[in-house]
Amino acid sequence: MSEPALLELEEISKHYGNIIALTGVTTLVNAGEVTCVLGDNGAGKSTFIKIIAGAHQQSEGTLKVEGEEVMFESPRDALALGIATVYQDLAVVPLMSVWRNFFLGSEPTKRIGPFKWIDKEKASRVAKEEMAKMGIDIRDTEQAVGTLSGGERQSVAIARAAYFGAKVLILDEPTSALGVKQSGVVLKYILEARNRGLGVIFITHNPNHAWPVGDRFLILNRGKSMGNFAKDEITRDELIMMMAGGAELEELTKELETVAAGDEALAHLAEEFAEEVEVLEDRTHDDE
Amino acid sequence: MATDVATADVPASVPDERLAYRGPIQRLLVQPEIGALVGAIAIWVFFWAVTVPFGTAGGTANWLDVAATLGIMAVAVAMLMIGGEFDLSAGAMTGATAILVIMLVKDTGELGGAGLSLWIGIPLSLVLALGIGWFNGTLVERTGLPSFIVTLGAFFVIKGAKLGFAKLFFETIQVGRIDEGAGYDFWRKIFSAVWTRNDHIFNSRDIFYVGLLIIGGVAILVGLLELTYKRRTPFNLGGLPITGIGVAAGLVGLFALHATDGIAANFIWAAVMGAGVAIGAYGIALWRFEPNQDRGRLQLSSEVLRLAGIGTGLLALGVVLGLILDSAPKIEDREIVNIFFLLTEQGLRAILFVGLAIAGLVVLLIAASRAKKSSDTSGAALSLYTALGVTVLAFIIRSEAEAPKFRTELFSALLLIALVMATWAVVGLYFAQRRGPDPAADRLGRSLAIGGVLLATLGVVVRLLFTKDSELATLVGQTQFRISILWFIIAAAVATWILARTRFGSWTFAVGGSKSASRQVGVPAARTKTQLFMIVSGAAWLVGMLLAFRLNTIQASTGDGKEFEYIIAAVVGGTLLTGGYGTAAGAAIGALIMAMSQQGIPFAGWNSDWRFVFLGSILLLAVLANNYIRKTAEAAS
Repeated sequence: MSEPALLELEEISKHYGNIIALTGVTTLVNAGEVTCVLGDNGAGKSTFIKIIAGAHQQSEGTLKVEGEEVMFESPRDALALGIATVYQDLAVVPLMSVWRNFFLGSEPTKRIGPFKWIDKEKASRVAKEEMAKMGIDIRDTEQAVGTLSGGERQSVAIARAAYFGAKVLILDEPTSALGVKQSGVVLKYILEARNRGLGVIFITHNPNHAWPVGDRFLILNRGKSMGNFAKDEITRDELIMMMAGGAELEELTKELETVAAGDEALAHLAEEFAEEVEVLEDRTHDDE
Repeated sequence: MATDVATADVPASVPDERLAYRGPIQRLLVQPEIGALVGAIAIWVFFWAVTVPFGTAGGTANWLDVAATLGIMAVAVAMLMIGGEFDLSAGAMTGATAILVIMLVKDTGELGGAGLSLWIGIPLSLVLALGIGWFNGTLVERTGLPSFIVTLGAFFVIKGAKLGFAKLFFETIQVGRIDEGAGYDFWRKIFSAVWTRNDHIFNSRDIFYVGLLIIGGVAILVGLLELTYKRRTPFNLGGLPITGIGVAAGLVGLFALHATDGIAANFIWAAVMGAGVAIGAYGIALWRFEPNQDRGRLQLSSEVLRLAGIGTGLLALGVVLGLILDSAPKIEDREIVNIFFLLTEQGLRAILFVGLAIAGLVVLLIAASRAKKSSDTSGAALSLYTALGVTVLAFIIRSEAEAPKFRTELFSALLLIALVMATWAVVGLYFAQRRGPDPAADRLGRSLAIGGVLLATLGVVVRLLFTKDSELATLVGQTQFRISILWFIIAAAVATWILARTRFGSWTFAVGGSKSASRQVGVPAARTKTQLFMIVSGAAWLVGMLLAFRLNTIQASTGDGKEFEYIIAAVVGGTLLTGGYGTAAGAAIGALIMAMSQQGIPFAGWNSDWRFVFLGSILLLAVLANNYIRKTAEAAS
């Protein structure tokens, strides 16, 4: 490789006392690529984010930013190296206008003598431009963020992180609370961010969202890495199977059948579920 | 105005089909202080109508004085509330700082204080006041307890300390006197200067203030046109000569109206002036705005006709009842105009007349906005019809009312409203309304409208400050404007600027709106909140100084219980109780409302205890209105 990856993780593990939250995770994030981190609830996704974002330190393994080995002491360190995190609550204030939210905490100012005030024209203009780069035309940057749709709110947070010098953007479950259409909008913003040369880490439990945008997939299950694949090394169905843990899915089918033995409606459901799992397995094998 | 209503149902070339363009009036309605402003105007008109002294310079000085000390605190408390906290010790703190400064500067002796110079005592008391604010803020931040509880504790401590120290050092609960301090003469000018109104006759004042009002009115009109109508580029210079003719006719009418006397001549010149305004507005529109290509045909749906009929009926009923009941014996004695006035036949007549007339006009306006939806022509027709109704009403009031202020001032005001309505209807018919934003036009329109409001306000101030000798006879009390009013204006302006334009202001909204989010993006939440508490205690110090220098002797209980009035003023002004939303200007208007009702009720000859009933109703109404306005404004977007 001519250039080192933006972010490289090698055999990262994390222990909380005797609890092993994460073991042996390896992946990399390149500029202009989307790395998807997939996993069901409790798979270790949040521990993973916290390590990259600098909120926690890894117990083992190495973390490299642009080839340099680093150990983050605090989120501020990560931010200084251009690693920005957009959490699920987005860190926006709903009652405040778009431009105020965009620049909150880092307002551009003008000054005459002792008087310093916000350069509103600039703030408003930049917010509008940056949002336009994400493909959103905000007509009025005075609009309260609370009146935007969920996807647009996401994009305010993403555009803000990108504008303030993020190189790697960590998105924590950005689609989990959204409807089908809004999720599509957010996936579009992820691609926009990628096209602007950012490295994106997209955390999700929905493989259907990850597949269309991802260049690389890291699958976590119960704190273990189930593999780290480039897009051409894996199919969509394999991804879904691996994420759910193939063996566990079959077990679940049996359990459901046992429970459903006495209930007709439930039995019907169990049958459908079993069929679906079978089809999925067949397809996975065909692909191989 | 009817023509501004129907913008929501037009498919516009905006990227998101669910978002329609919001007109300037709708955008204005989202401002948190707009409900309070409307309320303040209504209350002013009410007391102006029912009492003699309220609208005079003396009465104005009287209620402005009350508004000033209340308003300085309300503005600071509103900032704190926007930041998501309360301060229940704010009221007691005003008295405490006043007592503190007296204790610091009073001569040493048997019943004495520390004997410091005011040059030391005043800054020292400020430092101590800021210290209390810092303590309140730090305690709230460190413990995470609700500020309600922490400052309630602070309130009792301060209240007790005031009484305790007063009795300990002075053996009385009255603490005085500040004029014993060194440097009194200098500081009195800062905190207690009085500007006595110029009583001499200002001969050319009529032209002066009427001129200001007219220029202001024209600026507002043009500003609203800029905000509402679609601009053409390049501009059609053919409209300029028409504008010039209109302005000339308006000026000729104005000066001739002023110079001539006699009813007939007055009407002629008033008509010339009115025509000038209308022609001028048309010229400006022709010059700057695009012609309306889609005026549509006159279509009056059955619903519109029914509404118009109901409106006309109500208006006519009001007029007829007013004329019939006119034969009732009149109350000549102004002294017995009291709470029972509304129950006399004369009062009944006034209520029926005013109530029915207002109801009729509102129904007509609704009819106009409905008609506007079918075509611009229909909307304009209904608007013109409503303007005609207003004109008829104006003339009836002119011929029937006994009080001169109804005969002249209300008459002119109604005629002006009718003129603006008619002009607006015609402009709306021939020129295309905006369906999308135009930042340059918005900026120009906003500056013109704001400048117009300022000019018109200046005109009213001039009118109030320079009163004729003949009018002095009706004045009650002294006409002295206190410097506290100036402090109030400064406080409101500075707070408005801080909230709107500074980083600290942005952070105030942020910590009140979502503390965790503002922390995540690097806003120093704890520091911001502590500084807000210090702003409140600093404002309490300022009010304390104003009280100390005004009264010279301070009661130990001064200010106790006032904290809720500050909170009410802020809420009436549109500040959200839960934080994150509101304006300082709104709180200032809230303070004006409270002061007007507090002083207006005794002016009207009613027992001043009624003011609490009034206050409570205003609070409930304001909260309901704000809630409603915000919801409809947001739903309209």
